[in-house]
Amino acid sequence: MKKSILIARNTMAARLLVRRIWAVSVKDFRRLPAAASLSSSSRFSSLNTSVHTRSFLSPSRSLPLSSHRCISFNVQDQDDFTERVINSDLPVIVDFHAQWCGPCKILGPRLEKAIAKQKGRVAMAKVDIDEHTDLAIEYGVSAVPTVIAMRGGDIIDQFVGIKDEDQLDSFVNKLIGQ
Amino acid sequence: MPPVETENGPIKARIQELIDTNPVVIFSKSYCPYCKKVKELFKELNVKCEAVELDLIENGSIYQDVLMVMTGQKTVPNVFVNKTHIGGCDKTMQAYKDGHLQQLLGAESTAYDYDLIVIGGGSGGLACSKEAAALGKRVMVLDYVVPTPLGTSWGLGGTCVNVGCIPKKLMHQTALLRTALEDARKFGWEFSEAVSHNWETMKTAVNNYIGSLNWGYRVSLRDKNVEYMNAYAEFVEPHKIKATNKRGKETFYTAAKFVLATGERPRYLGIPGDKEYCITSDDLFYLSYCPGKTLVIGASYVALECGGFLAGLGLDVTIMVRSILLRGFDQDMANRAGEHMETHGVKFLRKFVPVKVEQLEAGSPGRLKVTAKSTETDEIIEGEYNTVLIAVGRDACTGAIGLDKVGVKVNPKNGKIPVNDGEQTNIPHIYAIGDILEGKWELTPVAIQAGKLLARRLFAGSTVKCDYVNVPTTVFTPLEYGSCGLSEEKATELHGEENLEIFHSLFWPLEYTIPSRDNNRCYAKIICNKLDNDRVIGFHYLGPNAGEVTQGFGAAMKCGITKEQLDSTIGIHPTCAEIFTTMEVTKRSGGDIKQAGC
Ligand SMILES: Cc1cc2nc3c(=O)[nH]c(=O)nc-3n(C[C@H](O)[C@H](O)[C@H](O)COP(=O)(O)OP(=O)(O)OC[C@H]3O[C@@H](n4cnc5c(N)ncnc54)[C@H](O)[C@@H]3O)c2cc1C
Ligand SMILES: NC(=O)c1ccc[n+]([C@@H]2O[C@H](COP(=O)([O-])OP(=O)(O)OC[C@H]3O[C@@H](n4cnc5c(N)ncnc54)[C@H](OP(=O)(O)O)[C@@H]3O)[C@@H](O)[C@H]2O)c1
Repeated sequence: MKKSILIARNTMAARLLVRRIWAVSVKDFRRLPAAASLSSSSRFSSLNTSVHTRSFLSPSRSLPLSSHRCISFNVQDQDDFTERVINSDLPVIVDFHAQWCGPCKILGPRLEKAIAKQKGRVAMAKVDIDEHTDLAIEYGVSAVPTVIAMRGGDIIDQFVGIKDEDQLDSFVNKLIGQ
Repeated sequence: MPPVETENGPIKARIQELIDTNPVVIFSKSYCPYCKKVKELFKELNVKCEAVELDLIENGSIYQDVLMVMTGQKTVPNVFVNKTHIGGCDKTMQAYKDGHLQQLLGAESTAYDYDLIVIGGGSGGLACSKEAAALGKRVMVLDYVVPTPLGTSWGLGGTCVNVGCIPKKLMHQTALLRTALEDARKFGWEFSEAVSHNWETMKTAVNNYIGSLNWGYRVSLRDKNVEYMNAYAEFVEPHKIKATNKRGKETFYTAAKFVLATGERPRYLGIPGDKEYCITSDDLFYLSYCPGKTLVIGASYVALECGGFLAGLGLDVTIMVRSILLRGFDQDMANRAGEHMETHGVKFLRKFVPVKVEQLEAGSPGRLKVTAKSTETDEIIEGEYNTVLIAVGRDACTGAIGLDKVGVKVNPKNGKIPVNDGEQTNIPHIYAIGDILEGKWELTPVAIQAGKLLARRLFAGSTVKCDYVNVPTTVFTPLEYGSCGLSEEKATELHGEENLEIFHSLFWPLEYTIPSRDNNRCYAKIICNKLDNDRVIGFHYLGPNAGEVTQGFGAAMKCGITKEQLDSTIGIHPTCAEIFTTMEVTKRSGGDIKQAGC
């Protein structure tokens, strides 16, 4: 609890700014027609539709930045994570984020930028912790954003919270051994 | 040869008896700091222990010799838990750290998957499961939200976090800020733009905060080693439940003990159009659009709180009341809270009940036509609203969890579960806490306290029970109403009017003076029992920050504060709460309680 309160505080400043960009995208994803929602307590069970809306509205988060290959992707499920992260030939930066987390929205684009600079030498996997709670729980995520650097299925490095561009560059550089 | 066996026979027998008949025995010396530490540990765990102070009893040193023979340990403390020898201070602390101690205190069988399964991950269920796990138990908690008829759903944490206290208080705060903005000009703040409110901004901010709380709960379950399942649970056998997840997958789990903490959900009216077109508090906090002109049905605290903050946002709000406001609460106070709402633009339609709701136009919001009839005459009225919010009470979620299969008694009238003073149902291994209990408070801190204490009694040998008396509470109407103890009605019924002395006073908060608003609205009242030293048995406060004010007086009442002690308490000036230290006018006297300036 303490941690999440902390997040909420950090979020405050960021929120105003973020809200402007995100005003349209934070549509209500909770109120669905009764038929569409198979009863569930997972808040984001219906997210498929809003994910699409979101990627459409916010290119910075969801469109591949590199033209030659798709290095930034949203993790779909546990199997997808195993295939594209754990078994990845490239080192992977995993960004555990949440829709309700302001700092995540600042860090995400910064991370993508840092990774784009590497021109395909490192990939970025994005995990929405509310959609893929089990993954986040398994990887010990307590607060978001949590960023994990993985190579060959091993965790090489990680941090929690926000970092500036230089710090992100050196985090990424370290992973690819520069 | 030391004749230990024969001569010390009686002492040995005495020691054995102590070990056999007490859950915890500590052979100790009164001055020994290590002994103290161990005793404190058990005190913290709320476990009764028998401390035998060897320096204070006769033959203490012989006890030590016998213990040496029995345990190979001569030093104190020498600790036994449920007939098992633990050892000294370090060993006891170690056993506590690795959970062995808790296991011994609970001494459970391993025939079941879990020591405890908690059904419902709300205020009570989470508190209980976390506490049980902290005591070294294998615990599972299941939480599952059945979406509302309109499809609203939410995350882990139960009513309070998702559709209760938290969003309610945040939206109430939103409304208070509007008043603050209005006041601000009187205090010299100048802002040129007309002030307007953006529902979606508020809703998103509130929902985001809730999202972080949901996650926090999930993490704390992991960190405390509580197994969590997002699945609907129902009994299939006395010690076995079926868990159905959102994909319909069924799994089965067994446990030695169960705690029911399924909470309540809003009741519908059972009239045409209610589930199709109306919302409840479960939908309101996630509404993607501003509800517009709103009809609130019911005079429950949920109705008044929601109606209050919607009006505070500047919406046109009507509350349809069947009989009285806030049944069960002090009516003098309830009516004052209602009058204040009325002077601030909330309309009350009294003595009417709705008979049907029709849709005139779909939309966000749409337009609805409500037909209502008088409870006293044949009069039928119609009204048009954008949103109809039903707040006519809540039903306990006990009907579809297989209680019939295991024989747990449920009150057929209201679905509530009767329990004894240890929250035990008629089926000994099944317990219940929180909102589903019959005749208990429906409040988050009560559910939490009951859950925590229950876990300690079940698994740590504690005997401390949840005290449901003198529970402080606050209704967050625009003018907040805090209370603790008895209503005037209840006090009269219990003690007789002639045995009560009721002190009361109006007051004008300093911060209202410059904006010059709400004079003679805020009100304080205490009810004292003349037969018991003028002990305060009812505390009532209508004014700003009622929750903050009432909490401390709740503590005082727990300590049995009397009128004399209140009078000898020095007030904090200038505050609202200080009024309680200078209450002089009795209700009986009919004396003037209006405030005229300083
Ligand atoms: C609008 C509103 C405002 C309120 N404001 C306040 C306030 O200001 N202060 C205050 O103290 N209290 C307030 N309350 C009351 C407070 O929310 C409740 O008293 C408290 O949440 C009760 O806790 P609980 O553990 O009994 O149940 P809940 O918190 O309701 O939790 C029960 C959980 O069990 C789940 N569940 C039900 N059945 C099953 C099943 N078969 N399997 C799995 N899971 C199941 C439910 O989905 C829910 O998540 C408010 C309530 C409402 C509705
Ligand atoms: N701030 C807080 O601490 C807080 C806040 C909310 C709730 N609570 C707790 O939660 C409990 C439940 O509260 P609640 O307010 O949901 O329910 P409640 O106390 O059961 O009140 C139900 C309300 O709905 C009305 N009603 C019932 N059926 C109706 C119908 N068919 N048509 C019109 N009106 C109808 C009732 O009117 P009648 O009086 O005519 O029957 C009453 O006003 C309370 O006991 C309280 O302890 C605490």
